[in-house]
Parts: sequence; C-alpha cells; structure tokens
Amino acid sequence: MKPWTRIRRSALVARTVARLWLIYKVPVYTRRLLGRPALKGPELDPTHERAAKVVLATALAMRGVIIKSCQFIATRSDVFPPAFIEELKQLHDAVPAKPFAVVKETIEQELGRPIPEVFAALDEQPVAAASLAQVHLGRLHDGREVAVKVQYPDIEEIIQLDIRNMKRACRVYERFEPQPLPLMPLLNEMTKHIGFELDFLREADSADRVRELFKDDDGVKVPEIHREWSTRRVLVMEKVGGMKITDAAALKAAGIDPADVVQDLMAVWVRMIMGAGFFQADPHPGNLFVTKDRQLVLLDFGLSKELPEGFGLGIFELMFSMMTRSEAAMIRAFQELGFRTKTGDTSHFVQIARRMLDRSETGRFEGEFTEEMTDEMFDAVREDPLVAIPSDFVLVGRSFGMLSGIAHTLGARANVLQAMGGG
Amino acid sequence: MTSHAEPSLTFSEDELLGSRKYDEPLIAGGVRCHGGFDEDGRYHSPRTLHRTPAISAWQDQLLRSGHDVIEISRALMPPQYPNVEQAKLLLRHGVRDPMVRSLTIISIVEGFGAVIRDVRVPELAELIVEPIDGTALSHLRHGLFEAHARDEAGYEDEGGHKQMWEAARDLALEHPKIPGDVLMRLMGRRSRAPKRERPFPQLDEKLERMLAMMAQVLVIEVFAEGTFQWGIDVLSDPEVSAEPQAAGDMVRYIQSDESPHVEYLRTALSEVRARTLRTVDGKQIAGCKVVDGLLHDMLHNLTRNRPREQREDVRESMIAAMQDVANPTSLEEEYESLASAWTAPAQTGFEPSSAA
Ligand SMILES: Nc1ncnc2c1ncn2[C@@H]1O[C@H](COP(=O)(O)OP(=O)(O)OP(=O)(O)O)[C@@H](O)[C@H]1O
Ligand SMILES: [Fe+2]
Ligand SMILES: [Fe+2]
Repeated sequence: MKPWTRIRRSALVARTVARLWLIYKVPVYTRRLLGRPALKGPELDPTHERAAKVVLATALAMRGVIIKSCQFIATRSDVFPPAFIEELKQLHDAVPAKPFAVVKETIEQELGRPIPEVFAALDEQPVAAASLAQVHLGRLHDGREVAVKVQYPDIEEIIQLDIRNMKRACRVYERFEPQPLPLMPLLNEMTKHIGFELDFLREADSADRVRELFKDDDGVKVPEIHREWSTRRVLVMEKVGGMKITDAAALKAAGIDPADVVQDLMAVWVRMIMGAGFFQADPHPGNLFVTKDRQLVLLDFGLSKELPEGFGLGIFELMFSMMTRSEAAMIRAFQELGFRTKTGDTSHFVQIARRMLDRSETGRFEGEFTEEMTDEMFDAVREDPLVAIPSDFVLVGRSFGMLSGIAHTLGARANVLQAMGGG
Repeated sequence: MTSHAEPSLTFSEDELLGSRKYDEPLIAGGVRCHGGFDEDGRYHSPRTLHRTPAISAWQDQLLRSGHDVIEISRALMPPQYPNVEQAKLLLRHGVRDPMVRSLTIISIVEGFGAVIRDVRVPELAELIVEPIDGTALSHLRHGLFEAHARDEAGYEDEGGHKQMWEAARDLALEHPKIPGDVLMRLMGRRSRAPKRERPFPQLDEKLERMLAMMAQVLVIEVFAEGTFQWGIDVLSDPEVSAEPQAAGDMVRYIQSDESPHVEYLRTALSEVRARTLRTVDGKQIAGCKVVDGLLHDMLHNLTRNRPREQREDVRESMIAAMQDVANPTSLEEEYESLASAWTAPAQTGFEPSSAA
C-alpha cells in the first residue's frame, strides 16, 4: 500500500468521525442553549438517517472494511437504530466494480498462470460486485460453466489499517460519549468475522458442509467448488442460476406454487439451524435462486455460523414457551440461550417476549418470527441496557426475520414450528 | 342443572375448558401440570368436567339416530421400535442415549399437538346440508380444539403432556443430558414436499384441510396408545428406571388424558360421515365418502412405508449407540434377536368400496 493511500484513508475516517460528531452533538448543544429538552427515540430518526448517509458515503469511497462494517452494523439491529440500518442496507447493491485488469492480475497471481490456461472464457464484465470481492462468469476448458469470485487486491492490508483507524475513532468516541454504544467488543467480533470472510477456502469448507447436509435431498443445490482453482482469494465455483426467489410471477409462470417454495425454504433453514447447528446466516433474496424444477439454490457461505450444542433445542423451547405463554419456560429458554440480565432480574425476559407477542398479527405466537417481531425484540434489548443478548441469537433471529420477509413477499408464512414437522 | 331425561348437547367454551376442583395438583419435575387428584388420591384429567359427558351425549345422539361411531382397528397399529425388551436391554447395558432421545422426541411431538388450535374452521353450517346444532362438530372451534391444544402443550404456567413426558424421562433416567441430535432425528429425512394433490378438490379447501387434519390426528392419537403402553412398561421396570412408580404413573396420567381426544375426533368425523357436504360447484357429496377416503389414505400411508423408514433410521442410531459397550457385537445380536415381526393388515377398514 502506498503511503499516501494510507494517509488518505486515515484522513477519511477522521473526517467522517468529525462529521458524525457534528450531526449528533450540535443539535444537542443548540437545544440546550435554547433551553429545549433533548430529542429522544423516534425523534432522532432524521438525525440517524443523516449520520448513516455520511457513513455510507465514506464507505463507498473506501470499500473494504468500512463497507463490511456497515454490513455488519446491518446485522446487529440489537445495537444500532433502525434508521441507521435502513440507509446502510443500500450497500448490498451500490458498490462499483473494479476494472478487469485488476481482476486479471489477482487471478493470475493467485493461480500462478495466465487466465487462458485455466479458463476457456471469462467475462470481463462482473455479474456482481460486493464489499470484498466481485464475481465474473466464465468457462473451464472441459466446458463446465463457472462463477469466479475474486477478492479485491490489497483488501487485507486495507482492512487492517481501517480496523486500526476505527478502533482509534472508537476510543475517542467512548471517551466523549457519556453513554457509549458498546462498539469496541463489536469491533473485535467484526474483525474476527471479516478474517473468516476473507478466507475463501473457509467459505468453500462451509459450502461443502451445507452441501453434505443436503446430499440426499435433490431439492437443494449448493454450487460445487472447483478446489484445484480455488485459493484464499479466488473462488471458482460451478455456475448456478434460476429465478429470483422473490419473483412470484416468474415462479407461477413456471408452474411453481410460491407457497411450496416457502415451505422448502423454511425446511432447509430449520434443518440447518435447529438440526445441524451450522447455518448460512445471510439468507437475503440475492443469495437464493429457484430452478424450473423447484430446486432451491443456496449461494454465499461467507457468513456461516456454527451454533453451540443445544442451541437449536433452546430456540425451539423459546418458541414453544411463547406459543403456550408459559412465562417460567420463557425465562428458562432465554437463559439456556445465553441471555443475561445485569441485575439477575429475569422479569426483563418476560417483558421482551410480551413485546414480541404484541407485534404478532394475531397477538399469539403460532411459530413465525416475523421481521416486526425480531425488530421489536432488538428494540427491546437496545432500550434495556440491563439485558445482554448472545450474538449467535442475533444472527439466528435476523435470519428468521429475513426468511419471514421473503415468505411475505410471496404471500405465505414462514412458520418454524410447522417446518419442523408440527403441522 | 343436569336433567336425567334430556342431557344437554350445547356447551359454552368455558364449560368445555372447565376442570373439577382438585384436592391436590399434579406436580411433575417441579412444574405444576394440568389435572390433579381427588381426596381418594385418584387422578382426574384436566378440562373433563363437562367435556367427557358432552362427548358421550353427542355419541349417544349419533347412535340413537342409527349411525355408527367409527372405529380404527388396533391391528393397524405399528409396533414400537425399539420394543419394550429391546429398550430394556439397552438400558441395562448403560446405553441410554436412544431412550433419552425417544422420550424427548415423544415429548416434542406431544407438544406439537397444540397446532390443532390453529386449524382454520370454515362456516360448517353453510357447507353441511343437514343441521349441526348440538354436535361435536359445532363445538370444535368453541372449546374442543382449544382443550386438546392445552392438554398436549400446556397452557401458561401449567404444564401439559410435553412437560409430563419430560418429567417421566427425568424421573426414570435421572435428568439425563439430551443428545444434541434430537431435533435432527425428529425431523427425519427430508425430501422435497411433493406437489400437493387435493384428494377432494370439489370441496371447500378449508373444509377439506380441516377434515384431513382431524383424520390424521385421530390416527396418531389411536396409534399413540402403543406408545403409552411401551412407556409404562419400560419406565416402571425397577431394573432400568430410577423411579419406577412415579415415572410409570406419569405416563398413565397422560394416557388417561388422551381418551377425550380420540373420542371427540371420532365423534365429529362420524357426524360428518352421517351427513352430506356441499361442493364448490353447487353439487353434493356423501360425508362418508370423504371421511372414509381420508382415513383410508392416512392409514395406508402410515402403515405401509413410514414404519419401515422410521425403523431403519432409528436402527442406525441404535447400532451406533451400542458401539461404546464392552462387547458391541454380542449386544447387537441379542438386540436383533428380540425384534418383533410385524406386517400391516391388508385392509384399513375404510376401503373406497366400503363407502356407500
Ligand atoms: N456460483 C454462482 N453462480 C452464479 N452466480 C453467482 C455464483 N456465485 C455468486 N454469484 C453471483 O454473485 C453475487 C455475489 O456473490 P456472493 O454473494 O457470494 O458475494 P459476496 O461478496 O459474499 O456478497 P455480499 O458480501 O454482498 O454478501 C450473487 O448474488 C450472484 O448473483
Ligand atoms: Fe398427549
Ligand atoms: Fe392427544
């Protein structure tokens, strides 16, 4: 990395922190001068939105860790305000691609040979560009079609620098903010996650693990990995495709009932989360296709997670206790899942469950964690600093929320209990 | 209130959910459960104060008007796997995981019984030609499904069958560690949900779904009788159970609670059998044709392939669990020698031809 790149990136972060400071603090001081009460809760939404826009702009300018941390923020709705997250969700599509020359250099460096030796064809235009990598379609010499995920050059060093900068910014923030969000532990957790995601061989292992789990099930497809051409920074996979899972019109035109697709989808995630304790933790519609013969195609195993033993049973017991409104069982389930209260007062858990139940359409829990319910849960945890939520649960809850979102788009319900066989 | 000549046929939801006063509640594994004991120490099932007499009255009415109450042949009931002797053999050899797993799965499946309350009940009076006042049918949505759901899963802080099976397990096997793969076993093999073919597309879809669900639950409830006997036999054997009396009794209480489930379901389905259903295209179809068709399909599927598949899946995990003992081969041989042979009877008793 050239020294001026280093300086420029550090300066960008510093400037962003300064602007955030202005956005949040200037109104506080002004209001104080004018003798008005401070803004609270939803009143702060426009502020959060403006702040998020600033972060977003920086992220796009910097790529790498900042984008990744924005995506990470979007996965921690238990800590960050919704307005913030809405704005940052855009990052999923908004990243500009790198020119092909850069991609070519990485591939040839990683594979140790010129591109034509490995690929009979490789599109110069990427099909997708994300935070750490972009994806190009191509063909091997034996005729097999492939998708090649190529990491951006320098990304690893860039990330290390960015993380250092962010930790510095974080320390400043914690010094000045009387009630800081617990950013440092999150930053550490994120550093670990990004490290995993940067290693494509690890992603390949995760893909293999999920493929193995569904090896007897011809309704599930995980692209094969071409290990001989894959490295930590280049992933060569079988090319897959299909209809977008949320495209109800296309599904119907192919003679597929969207309700069946939802049932398949739920069965697959319930099997991973509750059964195997290992799951793809990012089921957004961009990572899911449906083929003409109703096969569900799963992509992107960069964010895959192993759950502690007994976690699936804990989730089941939590849902069950909510269904039967057994408060004693709710408390037990929350504790088994690793929820803690600072004071040891377990009535917080019952409050959280009640708030979730109030957000369900029928006022009862029938087995679906809707986005509204998971959002409500994260709100409840965020507003009650006495409660600590296990990060595994955040990922699981968020995944169920995303699945429920897909189900609703298709006019169906994402009932977890039913997917387990209870209906 | 009750006159001897004319037993009432109409009940409020509160009545159907009402329990008698107990002298002593049932406490299982530290959890207050439903049901309780009278002054003589006799167990009484929950929510039966009016439910049991109500069901008898509806059945009597059906019989008086010359109709049958359907009966599912117990010969169709597949045997438990592993059977009582096999289960005891494993426990005697310290192989406990399979038993812990089975009992946990039973408790969860019992709990799932609560989904019966989510069955959408259509406007039956509009879809059935003959009147349905004063029948089990007209009470499904007004107490019968809800009582059933609460019996199985528990309600608020009062445990039901789920919690009672857990208690029986924890009593007999002394709070064992639950194997990490129970939910995976519960879900079994997955194959893609087949394209759904509606057996009676001429019916209102909600009605068809409700009747299919009731037929399925009835069959499961009847077959569960085998599970209860098995549970009692294994868990009350002092050689393998730490609390033979308490654990066995717990399963006996569950068993006695189940009888109203079988009874209201067979009554309501028999009431449909005795009536005529309207189809969506303005025609009519005999209720017996629909009910018998659904029961036949259900019994056929549950007695043909399912027992063998389940058996194969379970057997695999049994053999795996045996590998930790000193002499796995001889244990395996003894285990296999105890196996019970079973073939499903040729007839379900609800063959399409038998439908008038
Ligand atoms: N095997 C494949 N066949 C066809 N297209 C693919 C394949 N793998 C990835 N793609 C395309 O590339 C896109 C990005 O891939 P992927 O989600 O793996 O990247 P990512 O960097 O992890 O993305 P993000 O960080 O945004 O989650 C996918 O949405 C899909 O459109
Ligand atoms: Fe039961
Ligand atoms: Fe039952």
